[in-house]
Amino acid sequence: MSEHKKIYLHPLPVRIWHWINALGIITLCITGVQIRFPEYVNICGSYRAAIVLHNWAGLIVALSFSIWFFYYSMSAHNLTELYVPNGQDIKRGILRQAFFYFFLYFFGTPNPHHATPGNKFNPMQKSAYLAIMFVLMPVVSLTGILLMNVAPLRELILTVGGLKVIDILHYLAACSLGAFLFTHVYLTTLGHTPLAHTKAMVTGWEDAE
Amino acid sequence: MNIVRQQRALLFILTIGITLTATSTRAAGPGFSMGGTEGKNGKCLDCHATQGKVGSKFFIDPVQYRHTNHAKIGCPACHDGAVIAGHPAVRKVSTKTDCRICHTDIAEEYARSGHAGKAGCNGCHNPHKAKTPTEICGSDLNKMCAGCHNNYAIMASHAKWLPQAELHIEMLPCITCHTGSVNYVINLYIINRQGIPHLGKFVPAGYDELKRVAGKKDILAMIDTNGDNYISLAELRNFNTNPDYKGLHLQAMMTPETVTHSFRILDNRRDCLFCHASGPGAMQTSYVAVPKEDGTFRKVLVEKGAVLESLNSTPDFYMTGKTRNSILNKIGLLIILGGLVMPVGHGFFRFLSRNIRNRKENGHE
Repeated sequence: MSEHKKIYLHPLPVRIWHWINALGIITLCITGVQIRFPEYVNICGSYRAAIVLHNWAGLIVALSFSIWFFYYSMSAHNLTELYVPNGQDIKRGILRQAFFYFFLYFFGTPNPHHATPGNKFNPMQKSAYLAIMFVLMPVVSLTGILLMNVAPLRELILTVGGLKVIDILHYLAACSLGAFLFTHVYLTTLGHTPLAHTKAMVTGWEDAE
Repeated sequence: MNIVRQQRALLFILTIGITLTATSTRAAGPGFSMGGTEGKNGKCLDCHATQGKVGSKFFIDPVQYRHTNHAKIGCPACHDGAVIAGHPAVRKVSTKTDCRICHTDIAEEYARSGHAGKAGCNGCHNPHKAKTPTEICGSDLNKMCAGCHNNYAIMASHAKWLPQAELHIEMLPCITCHTGSVNYVINLYIINRQGIPHLGKFVPAGYDELKRVAGKKDILAMIDTNGDNYISLAELRNFNTNPDYKGLHLQAMMTPETVTHSFRILDNRRDCLFCHASGPGAMQTSYVAVPKEDGTFRKVLVEKGAVLESLNSTPDFYMTGKTRNSILNKIGLLIILGGLVMPVGHGFFRFLSRNIRNRKENGHE
């Protein structure tokens, strides 16, 4: 058994945010499927229950997203550093990481990226999270808030282009987040053990590779 | 004896004469012929069509009244013609007719409903403005109910169990849930912004304001551009994207296909799936209601599937579950399947390469 040096990668607020978000997003996916296909899916018992649960989970995820944003930008001050790919990442990093994932990994070559608290995402992760946290999450949250308040926010809805535009944006962003969920969960199993990354998100301590 | 007989005969003749005179007066009334519509109403409308002469209480809007079926049978058919002889000196003209005489079936249906005894016909319908169900705009339907039912109280009672109660009450006529109908249709009507630019409230557009936008052409021609009295999806899209009609929007209401007076609280309407589940024929029938000069609406059939189209036909009408677009369903499925490419594809090669990776890891150790 090899000895792994441990690094404190996930501070407590980030871990709390992550698991609240995870529970919220899974709830949103399940209730969302029932809301769109009610004659085929009935997980929550009734359509009304699915709507109420979806609304509450949506509010919690939107609030959790706001806390994440303010924590990183106001308290940790490293939002850009962590989530926005730099020049090197774009020029070489993304290709190098993709080459690792889709080729070198299968030959047992070590991961070229070594996570540190100041640089915990590899260039591919950064690109994916940039799209998710700065595009998909704000789109799904804002459209969700509009869909929850159609009557009082009708003016805003019409300005954007109507209820169907809002619904389509919400639906497509939600599908994209749902799709990412599969990839995200799978990628967590690529640590030195299948549960290593998941444990790190519970304890905060990650084994340095 | 002869004198007595002669006096009785004279009295009989006089009685018959007076009765016949009175009957003929009652039947036709002064100025009321049994001819055309104008003849039956003309004398009354000489005064009652002018608010200045009779006051707002007795004013009859001639444009709206002439359109009604009641105008065809004429004022004396419902109002006591005998008193008209002394009118307006006597001033009092009673309503002698009971609506049930003509509207028997409706009256019987209403008597069996939960609303019976709560209001008479006049409580909801003004006989001088009565419109047929096809001539009324969806948003006007709730005005009748709002005459008695306080909007805030209704909102509060529905909000106890109905998500987005304000939206439901705004977008649905009460009769959609509180009367029975086998099928439901979508009524589209034009709304216009009033008040502050970009912030004003949207309200159903009336004939005059739409006529100003339409200019010389007919209001319907703004949507039905080829004039075939049928609105295609392409025509709807053109209307929605035409910059000349920027302030106008199409709003929609789900209304019963058959209007009845069987008012009651229907428990199955508390099941959201009554409206929000899709089906093979769901939401296929829709109409555009265009206001006419006389205050009624002309309903024009729209090509099937307008409310199910993704964006352009009815951009501001969406019912979760019900009006989902099938192409978007497929796109969503493809996106989600795309998310499975990495776990399935990578996982497959990961499985195949497990021995190589294990050897490498052990070799390092």
